[in-house]
Amino acid sequence: MQTYRGILVTGSTLVLAGVLAAAAFLPTRAIAQETATTSSSGRSEQWIHVRVESKEDHGETVRVNVPVEMAAKVIPAINKNNLHDGKVHIDSMHTNDVDIPAILDAVRSSRDGEYVTVQGNDNNVRVAKSAGYLYIHVTDRSEGKKAAASDGKPGAKARAGHESKVEIKVPMKVVDALFSAGKDELDIVAALKALSAHGDMELVTVKDDQNTVRVWVDSKNVAD
Amino acid sequence: MLILAKVALGLGATMAMAGVYVFHEGVIRVDLDEHREGGGHVHFWLPATAVAVGMHFVPKDQLNHTTEQVRPFLPALREVAKELEKYPNMELVDVTDARDHVRVAMVEGKLRIDAVSGDGDVVHVSVPARVLRDVADELEEKAPGV
Repeated sequence: MQTYRGILVTGSTLVLAGVLAAAAFLPTRAIAQETATTSSSGRSEQWIHVRVESKEDHGETVRVNVPVEMAAKVIPAINKNNLHDGKVHIDSMHTNDVDIPAILDAVRSSRDGEYVTVQGNDNNVRVAKSAGYLYIHVTDRSEGKKAAASDGKPGAKARAGHESKVEIKVPMKVVDALFSAGKDELDIVAALKALSAHGDMELVTVKDDQNTVRVWVDSKNVAD
Repeated sequence: MLILAKVALGLGATMAMAGVYVFHEGVIRVDLDEHREGGGHVHFWLPATAVAVGMHFVPKDQLNHTTEQVRPFLPALREVAKELEKYPNMELVDVTDARDHVRVAMVEGKLRIDAVSGDGDVVHVSVPARVLRDVADELEEKAPGV
């Protein structure tokens, strides 16, 4: 009888030891999870979402979701090619005597309005500033014309649906942050930080007859 | 008989503590199934602690060679791992087409990679984010100049 009692005591003590040991080791993880939950629900954390959808039958769908804060911390750790310390060095910022930072500075300090409107046979381009946002809309019909020409209809109008539309909407504060690093550099991290201060918004939409690309920011951790 | 019980208690408690320690960082899980003739099937679970401990026993010249190759990516790996720990449940990447499906996500604090090909090949890898950071830290420690 005493033997059974000994085994019972031993077993109970083992279970207790296991529970105590688990309690000693597991809190770190539990706290970490709790913190993460709080951070994701307590303050509205912004996420960058990218979705690429092919319009072909059984086409490819790509979905990428990245927390803005995470991107802002990881990018400075990548030092490769033109990317260093969260900044991208661009050699061609003054190509053909066009000073892009100077132009952006002029746009920034100007009133709202349409700055560029090009309506051509192949392309329509519109660059505007409104309510603190920079809008760039491009419609490219050149591929449609090429396709129509390949059908043996020179001079024909672009095939219906054979055009690509690019719509970009960026807060001016993000543009400012992007060019804050000085000449020939884009400050990606500063731009991400400025972006995270904004609410939900659609950044880029590209639509053509083959693919749809969307880049947007919101506080959900999953794509729509 | 009492002495035997005490010895059993001591051994049992030690084993319980050791078990809890070994598994406190979680488990690395790898499942690989090739659904074709002669295809391989690999399934194993490995305590995450074993990776950190195992790295101490890797021959120094081989570790140096590895660190040389991965050195440029170590700071990024460490930052990614550190950040991933803050997001225990999220979907990072999902690529689907008619044949294949690849998903990279954080599931309960583990980085989980699932790949299913149209041929029926299936790969599931699950690694606690903490392990990635430990590996990055360990390699950085052995890679001066990072």
